[in-house]
Amino acid sequence: MERITIDPVTRLEGHGKIEIFLDPDGEVANAYFQIPELRGFERFCVGRPVEEMPTLTNRICGVCPEAHHMASAKAADAVYHVDPPRTAKLLRELLYSAFYVTDHTTHFYALGGPDFIVGPDAPPAERNILGVLAKVGMEVGGQVIQARKQGHNVIEMIGGRKIHPATAVPGGMTHGITEEQRAEIERIGRWSIEFAQFSLGIFDKMVLGNDAYKEMILSDGYTHRTYYMGLVDPNNKGNFYDGRVSIMSPDGERVGTYAPAEYRDWIAEHVEPWTYLKFPYLKKVGWKGLVDGADSGVYCATPLSRLNVAEGMATPLAQAAYERFYDTLAPKPESGGKRLVHHRLATHWARLIELLYAAEHMVELATDPEITSPNIRTVPTEKPTEGVGTVEAPRGTLTHHYWTDERGVLTAVNLLVGTTNNYAPMAMSIKKAAQSLIHKGVVVHQGLLNRVEMAFRLYDPCFGCATHSFPGEMPLQVAIRNSDGEVIEVLSQNC
Amino acid sequence: MADQIAFRTSSDTVAPGSPRPRTIVVGLGNPVLGDDGVGWRVADEVERRLSDAREAGCEIPAVVVERLGVGGLRLMEFLTGYDEAILVDAAEFPGRPLGEVRACSLDELDSYAAGHLDSAHDASLRNALALGRRLGARLPDRIQTVTVQASRTDEFSEDLSPEIEAAVPAAATAVFELIMSTRDPAGVR
Repeated sequence: MERITIDPVTRLEGHGKIEIFLDPDGEVANAYFQIPELRGFERFCVGRPVEEMPTLTNRICGVCPEAHHMASAKAADAVYHVDPPRTAKLLRELLYSAFYVTDHTTHFYALGGPDFIVGPDAPPAERNILGVLAKVGMEVGGQVIQARKQGHNVIEMIGGRKIHPATAVPGGMTHGITEEQRAEIERIGRWSIEFAQFSLGIFDKMVLGNDAYKEMILSDGYTHRTYYMGLVDPNNKGNFYDGRVSIMSPDGERVGTYAPAEYRDWIAEHVEPWTYLKFPYLKKVGWKGLVDGADSGVYCATPLSRLNVAEGMATPLAQAAYERFYDTLAPKPESGGKRLVHHRLATHWARLIELLYAAEHMVELATDPEITSPNIRTVPTEKPTEGVGTVEAPRGTLTHHYWTDERGVLTAVNLLVGTTNNYAPMAMSIKKAAQSLIHKGVVVHQGLLNRVEMAFRLYDPCFGCATHSFPGEMPLQVAIRNSDGEVIEVLSQNC
Repeated sequence: MADQIAFRTSSDTVAPGSPRPRTIVVGLGNPVLGDDGVGWRVADEVERRLSDAREAGCEIPAVVVERLGVGGLRLMEFLTGYDEAILVDAAEFPGRPLGEVRACSLDELDSYAAGHLDSAHDASLRNALALGRRLGARLPDRIQTVTVQASRTDEFSEDLSPEIEAAVPAAATAVFELIMSTRDPAGVR
C-alpha cells in the first residue's frame, strides 16, 4: 500500500514557526514565535444565548475545556448578576482541582520531564514520555495513567462528561454529588497527594540532585525579570478558581490587585507589524518592547508567576514545598520585599508544587460538610447585561467577557486566553536561547532546537486555543534570517 | 498508592448484558471548527447506518461509536479494551483534492498527516500506544484511519465546506466497510 508522507514545511506553515533575525554582525537581533490563531469565534458566538457559552467555549480546545467551562460559567453568573450558592462554588472548584491534577501530571511526565529527566542534549527521538519512564521506571507510567483516569472520573462525576464538562450554568450547577461519590473523590484526592509528593521527589532527585541541571535552571539564559500575574485569595494565597488578580513587579513589590471585571484598566494589547498576534502588557507601565525590567510592561502568567504573586500556598504540604522552592532558588528578598524566582525553567518545579496544592485542595473540598448539599443553584432573576469571569488556566490567567441584550443574547464577546498573556515572554525566552547558540552568524546546530524548545515548553503554551491541530512530538522549524531578511538556514526536528 | 494500572475498558461504555464490542469507531475533530468537524459528521452517519442495518435485520458487529476532540494519551486511553479501532479525521495532505477520502492503517500514515492523532499537550499517539502496550493495556491490534481532505479548519463554524459535506457519505461507506471486515468467521461478534 502507498506510504503517505507530508512535506514538513508545508505542514508546519503557520504552525508554531520560529523566525530568528540576525544583525549585520551575525548576532541575534530578534526572535519571533508565530502561533496561528483561530478566526471568527466572536462572530460565531454573537446571537446565541449566553447560557450556551459554558458548553460552547469548552469546545475551543480539547486541552483545557474545564478552564473555559469555568471562566464561562463565572462570566455568565456575572451577566445575570447572580451569586451561586456555596455548594455550587465548592463543586466547581473540586472539579477544577481534579482537572489541575491531571493536567499538571501530564505536563511534567510527557512534556517538561523530557527536558530534565531525559536531558536537553538527548536525541529528539528519546525526548518523550517513554524516555522519561525509561529513566524513572516504567511502573511510574502506570501511576501517571492512574492519576489521569481518576482525575477524569472526578470530572465526569461532577461535570457530567469526562472531557467536556457541562454542568456549570449561570447561578450554579445542574446537579450535585452523592455521599458515595464524595467518598470516592476524597479517596482519589488522598491518592493524588501521595502521587504529587512522589513526583516532587523525582524532581528533587533527578533535577535538583544534578548539578548541571541546577546550574541550567539558575543560568542567565533562562532568566527574565518581568512582572507577574495570578489570582490570589483574600489572604494573598494563590487560587485557581477565584479571587483578585494580583500583579507583582520584578523587584518584588505588589503593584496592586484588581477584580477581574477591571481587567481592561490594567491590560492593554500591543500590535507589531510582523505578526497578527497581539501582545498583552500592563497598561500602567507601558509597552517598551520585548524587554525585561521594571520599566517594561511585559508580564508573565504561569505556575511560576502564580507562586511569585502569592504570599504562600493555602494548604500545608504545598506551603512547605513553596518555602523550600524559595529557600533554594531565591533565599534573599528583592528590594520590594518579596522573594521572587525569575528563573523560567523553575516553572516546572512550580507546576509540581501546584499539583500538590490541587490534590490537597481536592481533599479539603471533598470533606467540606456542605459539598453534598442539594442547594446547588440560584436561579437568575435579574436582567442580563455584561459580565466577566476569570480563572487560572494551567497555562495562565483566563478571562471571558460577554455582553448581552436584555434577553441574554450575546452582542459581543472577548476572550483573553492563558497562553496569550505569555506571547511576549515566550518570544523573549526564545531569543535568549538563540543568543547563547548563535554568534557571528555561526549557528551551533547541536542543541539549538532542544534549547529553543525548552524555552517555550516551560510556558506550556496552549496551541489548542489557537490551532485546531498541532502534532504531539513538537515539529519544530526555525528559520534564521540575515540582516537583509534572507533566510540563511532552516533547522527542523520531528518533521 | 494503588498498584494496579487502571485503564478504561470497552465494558465501561456498554450496557450490562450487551455483547462486548471489539471495535471502536472514533470521529475526531472539533464540531464547531468548520471542516475540522467532519470526523464527527462521519461518525453520525455511520451510527445512523448501523442503526438502519440492525433494524433491517442485518448481522452487524457490535461496535462503539465515539466523537472526540483529543489525541495522544487521551485517545490511547479511549482505545483501551478494543481489538480494532477506526479513526476518522480531517486531513491536510499537500496537493490533494478537497473532499478526497482515503483509508489506510495508522502505520501507513505519516505522524503529522491527520490533525488529531497527536496532541501538543501530552504525547504522540504512537508513543502513547507504545506506553500503553508496555504497561499491559489491551490496545487494538489493528488501527485503521479514514481521512477526508479538508482546508477550512481555522475558522469557527458549524458548517462544512460543500466539498467536505459531499464527502461524508463516501467516508461513512469506507468506515462501514471496515466495520464489516472486522466480522469474524463465526458471524456476529
